[in-house]
Amino acid sequence: MSKTTLLITIAFIVSIGVSVFSINTDTNYQSLKKQLKVSHVLHNTNRKLPIFSLIDHNESPYNNARLKDKWTLVTFIYTHCPDVCPTILMDMVSLKTILKDSGLQTTPEFVAITFDPKRDTPKVLKTYMTYFDKDFMGISGDQGQIDRLIKPFGTYYERSIEIDGKTVLIPNGQVMPDGVNSYSINHTAWLYLLSPDGQIFAGFPTPHKPREMAKDIKLIIDNY
Amino acid sequence: MFNKIKTTILALVAITSFNSASAMEHNHSMSHQPTGVVIHDPWVRSAPPNAPMLGLFMQISNNTHVTVKLLSAHAKGYQRVELHRTTNQDGLMKMTKQEFIPINANGSLSLKPGSWHIMLIGPNTVPKEGEVVMITLKFDNGTTQMVHAVVRKGKIMMDHNHHAH
Repeated sequence: MSKTTLLITIAFIVSIGVSVFSINTDTNYQSLKKQLKVSHVLHNTNRKLPIFSLIDHNESPYNNARLKDKWTLVTFIYTHCPDVCPTILMDMVSLKTILKDSGLQTTPEFVAITFDPKRDTPKVLKTYMTYFDKDFMGISGDQGQIDRLIKPFGTYYERSIEIDGKTVLIPNGQVMPDGVNSYSINHTAWLYLLSPDGQIFAGFPTPHKPREMAKDIKLIIDNY
Repeated sequence: MFNKIKTTILALVAITSFNSASAMEHNHSMSHQPTGVVIHDPWVRSAPPNAPMLGLFMQISNNTHVTVKLLSAHAKGYQRVELHRTTNQDGLMKMTKQEFIPINANGSLSLKPGSWHIMLIGPNTVPKEGEVVMITLKFDNGTTQMVHAVVRKGKIMMDHNHHAH
């Protein structure tokens, strides 16, 4: 065998190896993605959640460790929200019922993190969240930490205030003018499924369809 | 015997005609609503006992030949009541206060979650499921209407109705 033939043969074998490897690493989520109806796979090893330490509605620390070794369904809300947030929470109630009936061995933990910790203290969140389901968990804490935490989710919010009859928008991270206590919040309204490694796995845009979401979640958990 | 049957038949005929007469009268009054604006299925979404805001929804039919505007709503036991609309702008859910809610001529408008709605702000006490909230609606044609909105979960109930039909 000539040197050239040997080199070509080695290159050929290596290229097959590389393509087989890349197909294999891709296969899992590519075939899963094709089966999903209402969710987007957001799994990205380069986009991890920051280290955070918030507080749950029972006043216990809520941090990265609390997301480990279980599936978690996360959304972001504020309790002064009359329309969008109660709709999300009602959808979560339906979703939990459907998931339980679907024979899934473990139902994900249902969590709502507030955009508005100043008004949504753990005590406020406890009354609010447990009205929808006794096991739903509300999360409050430091505004700066919440603002950093929402980034890898792709979640966005802005406060909307009225000054002299005009609407002024304050993007997240910016300080509110002094003395303003009345505001609403414009926000994205996705639900997110976090995998047992404590990272974002999938997202569900609004409007939510609990029945289809439940099928997708079951597929994701079964194929993880 | 014959007479008895005859009397029964006559009585039945009398009852039936009375019923249809009253039904006609009922329909007659229905088709001549004084304002031409009819409210269907007003409801308040049940909320946690500490909810600072509640959503009120309904269907408004405008049977007149001109656009009618809902200018305001009033309910006792709330700091204020506002007209709002939720819109989805590329995934960003925005809620904007409205000066009025227009109902097209010979049309109808659904006030529903994720769309047009009335916001009950600062309840003295959050009403419980099954309770009724009395709301006064004021329109630009000079009329007012009082509606009784039942507090319910909403979506789940609608799903239930959907399956029942």
